[in-house]
Amino acid sequence: MINTLMLIDDENLFHLVFEDACSLLDMALSIEALDSSDEADSKFKEWFPDDINQERPECVFVDLNIIGSSMDGIEMIRKVNEDYGNGCVIGIISSSEDEEEIEKAKAVGAQFWIIKSDDIEPRLEEFMEDYDGYVNKTNPFKVYR
Amino acid sequence: MIEITEHTRNVLLEVAKKKKIYVEGNFLKLLKAPPGDKEFETYLRICKEKDTANRRKRMDVAKDVQRQNKDLLIAAEENEQLTQDLQVALAEAESAKTEAEKLRDDAMEDLELLQQKTQFELVGTIVRIALGVIVGVGIFTTLMYGLAIITGQDTQIIGSTWSNMFGILLTNAFSIVGTIMGVKYATEK
Repeated sequence: MINTLMLIDDENLFHLVFEDACSLLDMALSIEALDSSDEADSKFKEWFPDDINQERPECVFVDLNIIGSSMDGIEMIRKVNEDYGNGCVIGIISSSEDEEEIEKAKAVGAQFWIIKSDDIEPRLEEFMEDYDGYVNKTNPFKVYR
Repeated sequence: MIEITEHTRNVLLEVAKKKKIYVEGNFLKLLKAPPGDKEFETYLRICKEKDTANRRKRMDVAKDVQRQNKDLLIAAEENEQLTQDLQVALAEAESAKTEAEKLRDDAMEDLELLQQKTQFELVGTIVRIALGVIVGVGIFTTLMYGLAIITGQDTQIIGSTWSNMFGILLTNAFSIVGTIMGVKYATEK
Protein backbone atom coordinates (compact mmCIF):
# COMPACT_ATOMS: atom_id res chain seq x y z
CA MET A 1 0.00 0.00 0.00
CA ILE A 2 1.24 3.51 -0.81
CA ASN A 3 1.67 5.60 2.33
CA THR A 4 1.18 9.04 0.87
CA LEU A 5 -0.27 9.82 -2.52
CA MET A 6 -0.82 13.18 -4.19
CA LEU A 7 -3.35 13.96 -6.91
CA ILE A 8 -3.05 17.19 -8.88
CA ASP A 9 -6.24 17.74 -10.88
CA ASP A 10 -8.43 20.79 -11.46
CA GLU A 11 -11.67 18.75 -11.40
CA ASN A 12 -12.84 18.56 -7.78
CA LEU A 13 -15.40 15.90 -8.59
CA PHE A 14 -12.62 13.63 -9.79
CA HIS A 15 -10.88 14.11 -6.42
CA LEU A 16 -13.85 12.36 -4.79
CA VAL A 17 -13.90 9.54 -7.33
CA PHE A 18 -10.14 9.04 -7.09
CA GLU A 19 -10.04 9.12 -3.29
CA ASP A 20 -12.90 6.63 -3.01
CA ALA A 21 -11.45 4.33 -5.67
CA CYS A 22 -8.05 4.36 -3.91
CA SER A 23 -9.70 3.62 -0.60
CA LEU A 24 -11.81 0.78 -1.99
CA LEU A 25 -8.72 -0.74 -3.60
CA ASP A 26 -6.67 -0.28 -0.41
CA MET A 27 -4.26 1.64 -2.56
CA ALA A 28 -3.12 4.44 -0.25
CA LEU A 29 -3.24 5.39 3.39
CA SER A 30 -3.22 9.10 2.87
CA ILE A 31 -4.30 11.06 -0.21
CA GLU A 32 -3.74 14.74 -0.74
CA ALA A 33 -5.73 16.17 -3.63
CA LEU A 34 -4.73 19.55 -5.03
CA ASP A 35 -6.48 21.46 -7.79
CA SER A 36 -3.52 23.50 -8.95
CA SER A 37 -0.03 22.64 -10.13
CA ASP A 38 1.21 25.95 -8.71
CA GLU A 39 0.15 24.85 -5.24
CA ALA A 40 1.92 21.52 -5.75
CA ASP A 41 4.99 23.35 -7.01
CA SER A 42 5.12 25.46 -3.81
CA LYS A 43 4.90 22.31 -1.71
CA PHE A 44 7.66 20.53 -3.60
CA LYS A 45 9.80 23.68 -3.35
CA GLU A 46 9.26 23.62 0.40
CA TRP A 47 10.20 19.93 0.65
CA PHE A 48 13.36 20.29 -1.41
CA PRO A 49 16.15 19.52 -0.58
CA ASP A 50 15.33 18.70 3.04
CA ASP A 51 11.94 17.21 3.72
CA ILE A 52 12.24 17.57 7.51
CA ASN A 53 8.76 16.28 8.37
CA GLN A 54 8.81 13.69 5.58
CA GLU A 55 5.69 15.10 3.99
CA ARG A 56 6.77 14.51 0.44
CA PRO A 57 4.36 12.03 -1.21
CA GLU A 58 5.55 8.62 -2.34
CA CYS A 59 3.53 8.77 -5.51
CA VAL A 60 2.09 11.65 -7.57
CA PHE A 61 -0.71 11.57 -10.15
CA VAL A 62 -0.87 14.72 -12.30
CA ASP A 63 -3.59 15.73 -14.72
CA LEU A 64 -2.38 16.80 -18.17
CA ASN A 65 -4.31 20.04 -18.52
CA ILE A 66 -4.84 21.79 -15.21
CA ILE A 67 -7.17 24.74 -15.73
CA GLY A 68 -6.23 27.75 -13.62
CA SER A 69 -2.59 26.72 -13.23
CA SER A 70 0.45 28.29 -14.83
CA MET A 71 1.93 24.92 -15.83
CA ASP A 72 0.52 21.72 -17.28
CA GLY A 73 1.12 18.19 -16.01
CA ILE A 74 4.16 17.59 -18.20
CA GLU A 75 5.90 20.74 -16.95
CA MET A 76 5.01 19.76 -13.39
CA ILE A 77 6.63 16.34 -13.84
CA ARG A 78 9.70 17.94 -15.39
CA LYS A 79 10.03 20.25 -12.40
CA VAL A 80 9.59 17.46 -9.85
CA ASN A 81 12.13 15.28 -11.63
CA GLU A 82 14.68 17.91 -12.59
CA ASP A 83 14.32 20.70 -10.05
CA TYR A 84 13.10 18.87 -6.96
CA GLY A 85 15.20 15.72 -6.93
CA ASN A 86 13.12 13.03 -8.65
CA GLY A 87 12.23 11.28 -5.42
CA CYS A 88 8.79 9.87 -6.06
CA VAL A 89 6.81 7.73 -8.46
CA ILE A 90 5.17 10.21 -10.79
CA GLY A 91 2.94 10.05 -13.85
CA ILE A 92 -0.03 11.45 -15.71
CA ILE A 93 -3.71 10.74 -15.17
CA SER A 94 -5.71 12.23 -18.04
CA SER A 95 -8.62 11.59 -20.37
CA SER A 96 -6.31 12.45 -23.26
CA GLU A 97 -4.72 9.70 -25.35
CA ASP A 98 -2.67 12.06 -27.50
CA GLU A 99 0.44 10.12 -28.54
CA GLU A 100 2.47 13.31 -28.91
CA GLU A 101 1.69 14.34 -25.32
CA ILE A 102 2.40 10.79 -24.08
CA GLU A 103 5.84 10.96 -25.72
CA LYS A 104 6.47 14.38 -24.15
CA ALA A 105 5.54 13.04 -20.72
CA LYS A 106 7.85 10.07 -21.20
CA ALA A 107 10.67 12.41 -22.20
CA VAL A 108 10.43 14.42 -18.97
CA GLY A 109 10.48 11.26 -16.84
CA ALA A 110 6.84 10.31 -16.32
CA GLN A 111 6.68 6.63 -15.33
CA PHE A 112 3.09 5.96 -16.34
CA TRP A 113 0.06 7.41 -18.11
CA ILE A 114 -3.39 6.41 -16.86
CA ILE A 115 -6.35 7.14 -19.11
CA LYS A 116 -9.12 8.70 -17.05
CA SER A 117 -12.60 7.33 -17.68
CA ASP A 118 -15.77 6.38 -15.81
CA ASP A 119 -14.28 3.02 -14.95
CA ILE A 120 -10.97 4.01 -13.37
CA GLU A 121 -10.67 1.19 -10.80
CA PRO A 122 -9.36 -1.60 -13.11
CA ARG A 123 -6.57 0.70 -14.29
CA LEU A 124 -5.63 1.66 -10.75
CA GLU A 125 -5.63 -2.00 -9.80
CA GLU A 126 -3.30 -2.79 -12.69
CA PHE A 127 -1.13 0.16 -11.70
CA MET A 128 -0.86 -1.16 -8.15
CA GLU A 129 0.35 -4.51 -9.45
CA ASP A 130 3.20 -2.69 -11.21
CA TYR A 131 3.82 -0.17 -8.42
CA ASP A 132 6.88 -1.82 -6.86
CA GLY A 133 8.57 -1.78 -10.23
CA TYR A 134 8.04 1.97 -10.44
CA VAL A 135 9.46 2.50 -6.95
CA ASN A 136 12.69 0.69 -7.74
CA LYS A 137 12.71 2.11 -11.30
CA THR A 138 12.75 -1.29 -13.00
CA ASN A 139 9.44 -0.93 -14.81
CA PRO A 140 9.39 0.82 -18.17
CA PHE A 141 6.96 3.62 -18.96
CA LYS A 142 3.45 2.22 -19.38
CA VAL A 143 0.11 3.52 -20.62
CA TYR A 144 -2.94 2.12 -18.77
CA ARG A 145 -5.85 2.15 -21.20
CA MET B 1 -0.83 -0.53 12.44
CA ILE B 2 -2.19 0.74 15.75
CA GLU B 3 -3.08 -1.62 18.57
CA ILE B 4 -5.61 0.17 20.72
CA THR B 5 -5.88 0.09 24.51
CA GLU B 6 -8.58 -1.80 26.41
CA HIS B 7 -10.31 1.47 27.37
CA THR B 8 -10.43 2.81 23.79
CA ARG B 9 -11.66 -0.58 22.53
CA ASN B 10 -14.51 -0.59 25.06
CA VAL B 11 -15.46 3.02 24.27
CA LEU B 12 -15.54 2.29 20.52
CA LEU B 13 -17.70 -0.82 21.02
CA GLU B 14 -20.04 1.08 23.38
CA VAL B 15 -20.46 3.98 20.95
CA ALA B 16 -21.19 1.54 18.12
CA LYS B 17 -23.72 -0.35 20.24
CA LYS B 18 -25.59 2.60 21.70
CA LYS B 19 -25.23 5.33 19.05
CA LYS B 20 -24.54 3.32 15.90
CA ILE B 21 -21.44 5.38 15.20
CA TYR B 22 -18.53 3.54 13.63
CA VAL B 23 -14.95 4.50 12.81
CA GLU B 24 -14.57 5.35 9.14
CA GLY B 25 -12.07 6.62 6.61
CA ASN B 26 -8.43 5.74 6.09
CA PHE B 27 -7.84 5.72 9.87
CA LEU B 28 -9.69 2.41 9.86
CA LYS B 29 -6.87 0.90 7.83
CA LEU B 30 -4.50 1.57 10.73
CA LEU B 31 -6.57 -0.15 13.42
CA LYS B 32 -5.82 -3.71 14.41
CA ALA B 33 -7.75 -5.96 16.76
CA PRO B 34 -5.80 -7.41 19.68
CA PRO B 35 -4.96 -11.11 19.06
CA GLY B 36 -7.93 -13.34 19.82
CA ASP B 37 -10.40 -10.45 20.34
CA LYS B 38 -13.20 -11.74 18.14
CA GLU B 39 -15.65 -9.03 19.24
CA PHE B 40 -13.35 -6.22 18.16
CA GLU B 41 -12.46 -8.07 14.96
CA THR B 42 -16.17 -8.20 14.14
CA TYR B 43 -16.47 -4.51 15.02
CA LEU B 44 -13.62 -3.63 12.64
CA ARG B 45 -15.16 -5.77 9.90
CA ILE B 46 -18.50 -3.97 10.27
CA CYS B 47 -16.70 -0.61 10.24
CA LYS B 48 -14.92 -1.56 7.02
CA GLU B 49 -18.12 -2.82 5.39
CA LYS B 50 -19.95 0.39 6.27
CA ASP B 51 -17.04 2.52 5.09
CA THR B 52 -16.80 0.59 1.82
CA ALA B 53 -20.56 0.87 1.22
CA ASN B 54 -20.51 4.60 1.93
CA ARG B 55 -17.51 5.19 -0.30
CA ARG B 56 -18.99 3.14 -3.13
CA LYS B 57 -22.25 5.09 -2.83
CA ARG B 58 -20.39 8.41 -2.83
CA MET B 59 -18.21 7.33 -5.74
CA ASP B 60 -21.23 6.23 -7.79
CA VAL B 61 -22.95 9.57 -7.13
CA ALA B 62 -19.78 11.47 -8.05
CA LYS B 63 -19.43 9.40 -11.23
CA ASP B 64 -23.07 10.07 -12.11
CA VAL B 65 -22.56 13.79 -11.63
CA GLN B 66 -19.38 13.59 -13.70
CA ARG B 67 -21.29 11.80 -16.46
CA GLN B 68 -24.12 14.35 -16.30
CA ASN B 69 -21.60 17.19 -16.41
CA LYS B 70 -19.99 15.61 -19.45
CA ASP B 71 -23.40 15.23 -21.13
CA LEU B 72 -24.27 18.82 -20.29
CA LEU B 73 -20.98 19.96 -21.73
CA ILE B 74 -21.65 18.02 -24.94
CA ALA B 75 -25.20 19.42 -25.06
CA ALA B 76 -23.86 22.93 -24.53
CA GLU B 77 -21.39 22.43 -27.37
CA GLU B 78 -24.18 21.11 -29.59
CA ASN B 79 -26.35 24.10 -28.66
CA GLU B 80 -23.49 26.42 -29.45
CA GLN B 81 -23.07 24.71 -32.82
CA LEU B 82 -26.82 24.93 -33.49
CA THR B 83 -26.84 28.61 -32.56
CA GLN B 84 -23.97 29.22 -34.94
CA ASP B 85 -25.73 27.25 -37.69
CA LEU B 86 -28.92 29.24 -37.06
CA GLN B 87 -27.01 32.49 -37.25
CA VAL B 88 -25.45 31.42 -40.55
CA ALA B 89 -28.89 30.34 -41.86
CA LEU B 90 -30.38 33.64 -40.71
CA ALA B 91 -27.64 35.59 -42.47
CA GLU B 92 -28.20 33.51 -45.61
CA ALA B 93 -31.97 34.09 -45.40
CA GLU B 94 -31.36 37.81 -44.94
CA SER B 95 -29.07 37.81 -47.95
CA ALA B 96 -31.61 35.82 -50.00
CA LYS B 97 -34.34 38.27 -48.96
CA THR B 98 -32.21 41.24 -50.07
CA GLU B 99 -31.49 39.45 -53.36
CA ALA B 100 -35.21 38.69 -53.85
CA GLU B 101 -36.11 42.30 -53.11
CA LYS B 102 -33.52 43.47 -55.60
CA LEU B 103 -34.91 41.08 -58.24
CA ARG B 104 -38.46 42.24 -57.47
CA ASP B 105 -37.39 45.89 -57.85
CA ASP B 106 -35.64 45.05 -61.13
CA ALA B 107 -38.75 43.23 -62.37
CA MET B 108 -40.97 46.17 -61.37
CA GLU B 109 -38.64 48.55 -63.18
CA ASP B 110 -38.67 46.31 -66.27
CA LEU B 111 -42.47 46.12 -66.13
CA GLU B 112 -42.73 49.89 -65.83
CA LEU B 113 -40.37 50.33 -68.77
CA LEU B 114 -42.42 47.86 -70.77
CA GLN B 115 -45.63 49.70 -69.92
CA GLN B 116 -44.07 53.01 -70.88
CA LYS B 117 -42.80 51.52 -74.13
CA THR B 118 -46.27 50.18 -74.95
CA GLN B 119 -47.75 53.53 -74.08
CA PHE B 120 -45.29 55.34 -76.33
CA GLU B 121 -45.96 52.91 -79.14
CA LEU B 122 -49.71 53.48 -78.76
CA VAL B 123 -49.27 57.23 -78.69
CA GLY B 124 -46.99 56.95 -81.74
CA THR B 125 -49.65 54.93 -83.61
CA ILE B 126 -52.37 57.44 -82.67
CA VAL B 127 -50.17 60.32 -83.78
CA ARG B 128 -49.32 58.61 -87.07
CA ILE B 129 -53.02 57.90 -87.80
CA ALA B 130 -54.09 61.40 -86.72
CA LEU B 131 -51.37 63.03 -88.83
CA GLY B 132 -52.37 60.77 -91.74
CA VAL B 133 -56.00 61.78 -91.40
CA ILE B 134 -55.03 65.48 -91.13
CA VAL B 135 -52.68 65.34 -94.14
CA GLY B 136 -55.21 63.23 -96.08
CA VAL B 137 -58.10 65.59 -95.40
CA GLY B 138 -55.84 68.57 -96.22
CA ILE B 139 -54.74 67.03 -99.54
CA PHE B 140 -58.30 65.97 -100.40
CA THR B 141 -59.79 69.42 -99.68
CA THR B 142 -56.92 71.14 -101.56
CA LEU B 143 -57.46 68.87 -104.57
CA MET B 144 -61.21 69.60 -104.55
CA TYR B 145 -60.52 73.34 -104.27
CA GLY B 146 -57.95 73.15 -107.10
CA LEU B 147 -60.39 71.17 -109.31
CA ALA B 148 -63.11 73.74 -108.70
CA ILE B 149 -60.75 76.57 -109.71
CA ILE B 150 -59.59 74.70 -112.85
CA THR B 151 -63.09 73.76 -113.95
CA GLY B 152 -64.42 77.30 -113.32
CA GLN B 153 -66.94 76.21 -110.73
CA ASP B 154 -68.13 78.47 -107.93
CA THR B 155 -65.37 78.42 -105.34
CA GLN B 156 -66.99 80.59 -102.68
CA ILE B 157 -68.22 77.71 -100.54
CA ILE B 158 -65.32 75.33 -101.19
CA GLY B 159 -62.82 78.20 -100.65
CA SER B 160 -64.14 79.12 -97.23
CA THR B 161 -64.51 75.46 -96.42
CA TRP B 162 -60.87 74.83 -97.43
CA SER B 163 -59.61 77.78 -95.40
CA ASN B 164 -61.71 76.76 -92.34
CA MET B 165 -60.70 73.14 -92.76
CA PHE B 166 -57.02 74.10 -92.99
CA GLY B 167 -57.29 76.30 -89.89
CA ILE B 168 -58.97 73.51 -87.96
CA LEU B 169 -56.47 70.92 -89.19
CA LEU B 170 -53.48 73.08 -88.25
CA THR B 171 -54.99 73.81 -84.84
CA ASN B 172 -55.61 70.08 -84.25
CA ALA B 173 -52.11 69.22 -85.47
CA PHE B 174 -50.55 71.64 -82.99
CA SER B 175 -52.92 70.36 -80.30
CA ILE B 176 -51.75 66.76 -80.96
CA VAL B 177 -48.08 67.81 -80.90
CA GLY B 178 -48.72 69.67 -77.61
CA THR B 179 -50.45 66.63 -76.11
CA ILE B 180 -47.57 64.36 -77.16
CA MET B 181 -45.00 66.71 -75.63
CA GLY B 182 -47.06 66.88 -72.43
CA VAL B 183 -47.38 63.10 -72.14
CA LYS B 184 -43.66 62.65 -72.79
CA TYR B 185 -42.78 65.25 -70.15
CA ALA B 186 -45.13 63.64 -67.59
CA THR B 187 -43.80 60.10 -68.14
CA GLU B 188 -40.18 61.25 -67.91
CA LYS B 189 -40.94 62.80 -64.52
